[in-house]
Amino acid sequence: MEWKRLRRKFAKNPLNLISVVVFALFLAMAFFPQIFTQFEPNRMNSAVRMISPTASHIFGTDQFGRDIYSRVVHGVRETLSIAFLSIVLACVLGTALGVISGFYGRWIDQIVMRLMDAMFAFPTIILALFIIALYGASQKNLIIALGIVYTPIFTRTVRGSTISIKQFLYIKAAKALGKRDLSIMLKDVLPNLTSVLIVSFTTNFSTAVLSEASLSFLGLGVPPPTPTLGGMVGQGSNFLLSAPWIALFPGLFIALIVLSINIIGDGLRDVLDPRY
Amino acid sequence: MKKSLLFLLVLTVFFSFCFGARAGGDLKFAVQVEPAGFDPNLATAFGSHRLLEHVYEGLLSFNENMDIVPGLAESFEVPEPTKIVFHLRKNVLFHDGTPFTAEDVLYTFKRIQDPAFASPAASYYTEVSSITAPDPYTVVFTLKVPMVNSLLLNFAGVNSAIVCKKTVESGVNMQLQTNGTGPFKLKEYAAGNYIALQKNERYYVPGLPLLDSLTFVVIPEEISRSSALRNADVQMAQIMEPLSLNTFPAQRFVTYRVSTLPYLLLGINNAAKPFDNVLVRRALSYAINREELVEMVAFGEGTVTGPLNPSLKTWALLPEAFDEYSYNPEKAKALLKEAGYPNGFSFEAVTYAQYSLDKIGEAIQAQLALVGIQMKVDVAEFGIFVKRWREIDFQTFLSLNGGSTEPDIQFYRTFKSDGATNKFNFKNAKVDELLEKGRQALDLEERVEIYRALQRLLVEENPFLFLYSPNNLYVSLPEVKGFVPMSNQSLIMLKKTWLDK
Amino acid sequence: MIATYIFGRVLSAVPTILILTFIVFLAIHLVPGDYIDIMLGTQNYLTDEQLSGLYKQYGLDKPFVVQYGIWLKNLITFDFGTSLRTGQKVSAMILEKLPVTFELAFFALFFSLVFGIPLGITSAVKRNRFGDYVVRVLGLIGLSAPTFWIGAILIVAVSGLFQDYTLFGFVSFQKDMAKNLQILLIPSLTLGLMLAAQIMRMARSSMLDVLSQEYVKVAKAKGVSTWKVIYRHALKNAMIPVITTAGIQFGYLMGGTILIENMFALPGLGRLLLQSVNQRDYPVIQGVVLFTGVFIVLMNILVDILYTLIDPRIDLR
Repeated sequence: MEWKRLRRKFAKNPLNLISVVVFALFLAMAFFPQIFTQFEPNRMNSAVRMISPTASHIFGTDQFGRDIYSRVVHGVRETLSIAFLSIVLACVLGTALGVISGFYGRWIDQIVMRLMDAMFAFPTIILALFIIALYGASQKNLIIALGIVYTPIFTRTVRGSTISIKQFLYIKAAKALGKRDLSIMLKDVLPNLTSVLIVSFTTNFSTAVLSEASLSFLGLGVPPPTPTLGGMVGQGSNFLLSAPWIALFPGLFIALIVLSINIIGDGLRDVLDPRY
Repeated sequence: MKKSLLFLLVLTVFFSFCFGARAGGDLKFAVQVEPAGFDPNLATAFGSHRLLEHVYEGLLSFNENMDIVPGLAESFEVPEPTKIVFHLRKNVLFHDGTPFTAEDVLYTFKRIQDPAFASPAASYYTEVSSITAPDPYTVVFTLKVPMVNSLLLNFAGVNSAIVCKKTVESGVNMQLQTNGTGPFKLKEYAAGNYIALQKNERYYVPGLPLLDSLTFVVIPEEISRSSALRNADVQMAQIMEPLSLNTFPAQRFVTYRVSTLPYLLLGINNAAKPFDNVLVRRALSYAINREELVEMVAFGEGTVTGPLNPSLKTWALLPEAFDEYSYNPEKAKALLKEAGYPNGFSFEAVTYAQYSLDKIGEAIQAQLALVGIQMKVDVAEFGIFVKRWREIDFQTFLSLNGGSTEPDIQFYRTFKSDGATNKFNFKNAKVDELLEKGRQALDLEERVEIYRALQRLLVEENPFLFLYSPNNLYVSLPEVKGFVPMSNQSLIMLKKTWLDK
Repeated sequence: MIATYIFGRVLSAVPTILILTFIVFLAIHLVPGDYIDIMLGTQNYLTDEQLSGLYKQYGLDKPFVVQYGIWLKNLITFDFGTSLRTGQKVSAMILEKLPVTFELAFFALFFSLVFGIPLGITSAVKRNRFGDYVVRVLGLIGLSAPTFWIGAILIVAVSGLFQDYTLFGFVSFQKDMAKNLQILLIPSLTLGLMLAAQIMRMARSSMLDVLSQEYVKVAKAKGVSTWKVIYRHALKNAMIPVITTAGIQFGYLMGGTILIENMFALPGLGRLLLQSVNQRDYPVIQGVVLFTGVFIVLMNILVDILYTLIDPRIDLR
């Protein structure tokens, strides 16, 4: 991998650079939220409840007088970690299962895909309820729950692509030449999956951010008063007409995070594509 | 001669037309929850009660001011402290035309008291020794102990509504079909979508109901419900989020608000440390700013309440009467120090995500942090919450309890040492004594004295914290007239509502 | 050949469904709080005698494996049980709500394909030019806003701007076709928007893959017009991941329309599942899970068959 060449290709596109900067900003917010904010995210102040954006509270305040900007910045950490870690889990599990399933076919494929069918059909709310009921509502458990939910998507997508890739002559040739299966899977199949994986990863990352929001909306999310972007959007939805800023800004942050990740993902995909 | 007759005829038609324009209308009412089954003697769900109260009736009823008024019984007397005699209305028909008699009353209460039937109303009538019908329009309840007062209110509840003996005995599934005596009858049930009721033409109160039809449209999300009203897809809606009221300007909408009897509480497991110490419990009371809760969480749409709702002028001691209700963090800290917790302590409160309980939890969390108490709020799913509540698997909890205009109903089950809903591990002999006395006393003044003493004792002992009673809010289009909301959340005044088009 | 394949897949679906329903049953019973707890809540009281009678009446006193067995046995006679909550037959409830969810999912998928595929292809063809950027950003907006947020905004906007537009008060297709479509338009658009973004990205990505293939470059060098190349050579192969995604999405849609159904007050399967889980209405939960499970499995089989039809080289065995 000639990193220098790839980096230069990547940097050629201004959209990519902007996205990297934006995402880096969000990462900084996730690691050092205190640098960006002046108020405590959970500090209630009845004197300044429900005020629209002003100089001191640039995103306004909520019904408890908490500064929305501070809550949003602190929420970035929760949201990023939950979404990222759960998709990593799903991606690793799903890719492994998908490659094995697509590569070997026959009964291995059958078993894996039937299992995935069952996981697909398993209602997310029951899974989330089950995990939270028995193990408590925490970041770790949400990550596990979402990881399980997203594994079938990766498995199915990777399997589909693996089946296509298998058709390529050079794979058949490699098998004929006697190369070991694992070697073929890692060296020949996997690199060709890169673009599919990157797109899947980034797409599902954003969906995971929103799944977390949905679960919070249904009351199955991270416990109060920890702010999460999705949870804040959910709570603010009731106030859309009377105090739109409460749902607007967390939603905006979600959009920007997702946007930057996806553009970076597309840029990476373009750059890593051996045929580009 | 003929000309004047004709003129008279025209006049009559004209006037009846004017008055006729007063009646009528098809009202669509948006609600949040839908009913679960139609059997009134079994129904526990809020949605079911809000539907069945229009279709079925009990011996007694309430008027707008929550006074007990005649229902299917046009009068009653209490000849002895342990006897209630009801005189039933004559010429009342069930919706299918069956005449209503004392047989139906006997049958209903036998059904309620049948242990194999599992009616939630059974627990109200455990002190009833016999029910007899000396003639087809008289029913006599004989009690084991003189507790007429609390019993009377139960006769007006949906769970004690009268069902038709013939219908139930014919094997009809009362969960799926209805046959009542109420102002409305069930026309169509589209599960998850709407419930359509139509006017009972043979209702025994002449002129009522005024509406031709009443349809409850189920719209779970607040923003959708208020949009449906704004869009005139419905003419009336129940509003849960007080701030939305700002989006219904007075020129185009009518707002109804009523202070309700149910109350929000911070329940305490009195056997769990550190709450076994009354000083700690009292410290909580001083450390929580109830007025701020009403402001922050309910935007002012609520009333701080003592052990009895302040609207009960006869009985209630107002929150201002209690020092423990004043917000005093310094005093709280002093009490904590005295109790041996100078640096505060941490505890957990379990609750569920309805009635803004999660927001109340957040607000209290912040308030308690100011006196050094760390409160962790566990917003559990409702089923999990109920299970933990039932097994007293909590240190504290936040919930909403039903309230009543009758002190015995409000207090007995909750505070008696072996009370049915006493999940607080609260045992106090003096409280028990007052509860028994209050239940059986007959003289009003005597009862007021007893319950005043009880209220004072309850605040001193602080087995749990009463927070506030939320207001119920409804908004309608201006053509909806005659609706009066009630403090027990009932909508039965819809029978006097009409659409002025 | 295809017939044996289908038969084999359908056969293997049976154990899948059985395992699925068993695990769901197990999971729901392991969660604290049963139907009776929720029915009583915190304000109602029954004596121990009444309680044990009630448990017996609903068959909840038996060990849960036995309960599952009874449910299975009844399945054979197509008896899906009765709702604990309302007393209605579960099969009737599902049949009542199925068309609503199906219509919603169908139109959502329709919108997503109609918007997503052409946009994705255009974006790939006009790569890195202005059109590409615009389309990608638009697509990403669809991906990045939560569905319930978009839904809420649309509800408020439509009800505020178009007083005569009926949003609430669902009527079935048979009863009033025009009104039915009117009511379903906004929710399916909301759902479709999010899907369109995913379809668009998948289409763009796989189209790019295919376009850079040697045989495409050869065709272009030979002078075949770009669009002809796309249509004849590229499209079919590019569509494979798109079909996978669409199939996945439709499956999810049938099970995942909960939020939209709740928000737009549509009486569909999603809401039924949510309600029955909240109330531990076991027969209904089992019925809905069984039904959606079968549906998803069938969808997956369909997708796999479509694979072969598109690319005969793919060996399904």
